[in-house]
Parts: sequence; structure tokens; C-alpha cells
Amino acid sequence: MRRKIYRYPFLLRLSHWFWVIAFAALVSSGLQIFNATPYLDASDQSNPAHRVLSIGSPADGVGTTTLFGKTFTTTGWLGWVDDGMGGHAPRAFAGWITIPSYQDLADGRRWHFFFAWLALLCWLGWLVSAAIKGSLKDLILRPSDLPKLWPMQAYYLKLRKEPPPHGIYNPLQKASYNVILFVIAPLVVLSGLALSPGIDAIAHPLTSFFGGRQFARLWHFTGMILLIGFFLIHTFQIATQGIINQLNSMITGWYRLREDDGVGP
Amino acid sequence: MNRRLFVASTISSALAACSPIGTALNNNEAFHTLLGVAQPLNHKLIGTRGLAKEYREADIMRDFPLTGFDPPSNSTYMDYLANGFSSYRLIVDGAVEHRQGFSLAQLQKMSQTTQITRHDCVEGWSAVGKWSGVRLSDLLDVVKPRSDARYVVFHCMDADEQGTPYYESLDMHQAAHPQALLALRLNDAPLDAKHGAPVRLKVPTQLGYKNAKWVNHIELVGSYANIAMGKGGYWEDEGYEWYAGI
Repeated sequence: MRRKIYRYPFLLRLSHWFWVIAFAALVSSGLQIFNATPYLDASDQSNPAHRVLSIGSPADGVGTTTLFGKTFTTTGWLGWVDDGMGGHAPRAFAGWITIPSYQDLADGRRWHFFFAWLALLCWLGWLVSAAIKGSLKDLILRPSDLPKLWPMQAYYLKLRKEPPPHGIYNPLQKASYNVILFVIAPLVVLSGLALSPGIDAIAHPLTSFFGGRQFARLWHFTGMILLIGFFLIHTFQIATQGIINQLNSMITGWYRLREDDGVGP
Repeated sequence: MNRRLFVASTISSALAACSPIGTALNNNEAFHTLLGVAQPLNHKLIGTRGLAKEYREADIMRDFPLTGFDPPSNSTYMDYLANGFSSYRLIVDGAVEHRQGFSLAQLQKMSQTTQITRHDCVEGWSAVGKWSGVRLSDLLDVVKPRSDARYVVFHCMDADEQGTPYYESLDMHQAAHPQALLALRLNDAPLDAKHGAPVRLKVPTQLGYKNAKWVNHIELVGSYANIAMGKGGYWEDEGYEWYAGI
């Protein structure tokens, strides 16, 4: 049996699972909100000339998605989908993936703002406690980690027998968690705030930074796609790297060291 | 491999369960109320501060978009359209020292201000328009709100298919905002029927639904609890937030 280490402190575990719930709620209520204006423009005002993505239904029973000017038929998937009430309707995202399942912008916003606060408070709570307790230093990617990124990837690709020596988190974990926690998550929060006319009145530079309000909506959506991408890779990794140990450790905090954990702490 | 398949199917069923679970929770009154805690927080933290960005003439969207209600179809409004709003009166009453009716000509004679600001719809779209008219605070100075006035309620001439009239409200702080405007003109022309003629509210620091069209009665009140369904606005009664700054 390999050695067990106490890897995940209580607040990290708690915020992790709250994040899972908040992320699911934010994506599905966000798609509900997107449905009210199912297009994204790279401009300040709405402007068809700068349209990056639009999802529509040119005729009953037909759904189309236009991305960078190229139109695809997406009937059943996007544009003409289940309406959350047992029928079908011209609607960007389907009822099975939105909250509420039926079209309801008011309640979608209600969910979105509640879970946005929850996600933000989790992030802040985790960050502050990790900084105070000193566990943050195990996670921060350092210049000395950079030369180890490829060897770690090579190990995952089975091009290398041993992972490079590293601490609690391997260099690839550090890199991806740093990008998610300190780049993508703030991008999503700030681009979301930039959509608020009340905040825009206080801080014009924020909305301008994202290229205007519609552009901020595009950034917000893109941030969601990136987070979903991370979620898929993350769950794939968990599923293939000893699922029981991984899940158990995120519940109890105790993680059984694996071969690929290098030298370990 | 079976384990991976198991995990993949577990994840996909968990994802597929989000919407039904969420929808069921949404219909639970206690949970629905809990979700609402974000609103006072947003209102308190963001509030109505600063000024909405002012744009250049070149940014104006000439064909200003429309959503929401059709123009009123009642006979009074038809008469207004026929006589060029000469019989229209904007009644300002409630908790004021001097209740008064304003004709369109009187409103046009008051000091006019212009703003080129972006209109942000709750549905997501945005459009820049040039709005001219009377500052709401100038009008309130004429009627002199009493000390018990806490909200300014805007009653409108339009109604939904069930005949429920549109209305909106601002608190005194929002009403005193320098960009809170009773717009008489859009893009250098008198407001047309579709855009809320003859008077609409323009509050660029809040979402479109606050910007009530076809206003003919402004009432100052201590509370809006007894108006319509008591949430302070037509869309608020339908579940949207009273604070429309986010």
C-alpha cells in the first residue's frame, strides 16, 4: 500500500463541491439567459455585421447555428429543440440543459445571480484560507515548474517512464489550476459584471476593456466554454487516474499517493 | 474500460439531471425565495452611482430596435395620435405639494437636456440612442415631493393582452439621478408611437424594462405595495428584479 497524505483541507473540499453545484447552475441558467437573445456580437452595441455566433430557426422544424458566417443545420441540437414542456420550439439551447427547463428569463436570472454570488464567495473563501494557511504556495506555478511541463506531459503520453519530481501538485496540475482559478474564473466574473448597466456607469473602463457590452457577453460565453472544456478534461483525468482514490480524497481530504505522483512531498 | 464507461454514464446522467432538479427546485417556494437574496445584495453594492457613458453622434443606431409592448390601441391614445397629442396631459400627483397636469407643449417649454446613451435590454441586446427631454428632477422640483414620498411611480397607457397596464417605479435617489430623463425626442425627432410617444422614461443606468414608454401619470408614493401586484413594476410583478441595474 502506498502512503496516504492529507492533501485537501476542509475549506478546499467544501468550496470544491459548492463549485460543482454552482457551476452546473450557472451554466444551465446562463444558457437560459442566452436564449433570450441567441446571438453574440464582437461589438459594443448589437451589430449583425460583427456577429460571431447566432442560433436560430429559419422555419418550423429547422434549427441552424451560424459561427463566423458559416451556417450549419443543427435541428434537434440547437435552434429547434425540446421546449422543456414536452414539445419542440424555436429556441437556442434545449430544455434538458437549461434551468428552468422551459423558457423563463426572469427565473434564469434569479438562479444566475444567486449562484454567481455562491461561486464568488467560495472562490474568495478558498483563496483567503489557502493564503493564510500557506497551502497556496503548493499550488502556485513557479518559473522552476516550467521546464517540467513537457516531461510531465510526456509521462502522461507514455513517452517517459517516470514523472519529473514535484510537490503535492504536478506541474501540469499547477498550470491548469492556475489558469482556471486566476485567469479564466476572473475573466468570467469580470465580463459578467461588465454586462451590468449599473456597474458600467461606475466603471466604464471595465466594459471598454472587453470591447463593449455585447463583446463582454461574447467573452462571458467564451469563458463558459473554456470552463466546460476544463471540466471535461478534469473529469476524464479523475476517471482515469484512480477514480475511487480521487473522489474519496476530495471528500475526506486523504489522498493515497500514486506512482505518477513523482517523489511526493 | 468498463469503469470509464461507468464514470462517463454517471457524469452524463448527473448533467441530464441538472435541469429537472433545477426546475423542480425553482417551483419550490422556499427555494425560490432563497434565490432572491442576491437582489438586495446587488442593489446595495451596485446601486445607482456614477453616470452612464455618453456616446458620439456617430455611434447612434438610427433604426432603434423595439421589444416589449405594441403602442396603446385605446381610443384615448388614438385621439392623441390624431390631434398631435394636443389633448395629452402628464398628470403628476400623489405625495407632492402641487399636483399638476402638464401638456406636451408645457413639457417642451421646460429646460431640455440631451443624452446619447446605450440602452441595455434585459434580453441581452444593446443600442445607442440620442434622447432629449425634461430631466425628471426638474419636473419633481416643480411639483415639490412631500417628505413622505419614497418612490416615483410611472403609470403608462399601454397594457398587455389581458388588459394589465404597464407601470414602473424608481426610488427618490434614482429619480434624482442627472440622467433620469422624461424623453420627448429620440434621434432628433419627436418620439414616435412605437418608441413611447409622447413621453417615455429614460434611465440609462438601468435595464430597458425600467424605461417605461407611453407615460401619462406620475404618482409619488410612500410604498408601491398597493399598486397592481405590489412589486413596483409590470415586469417585476412577472418575476423580474425591482433593481434593474444588473
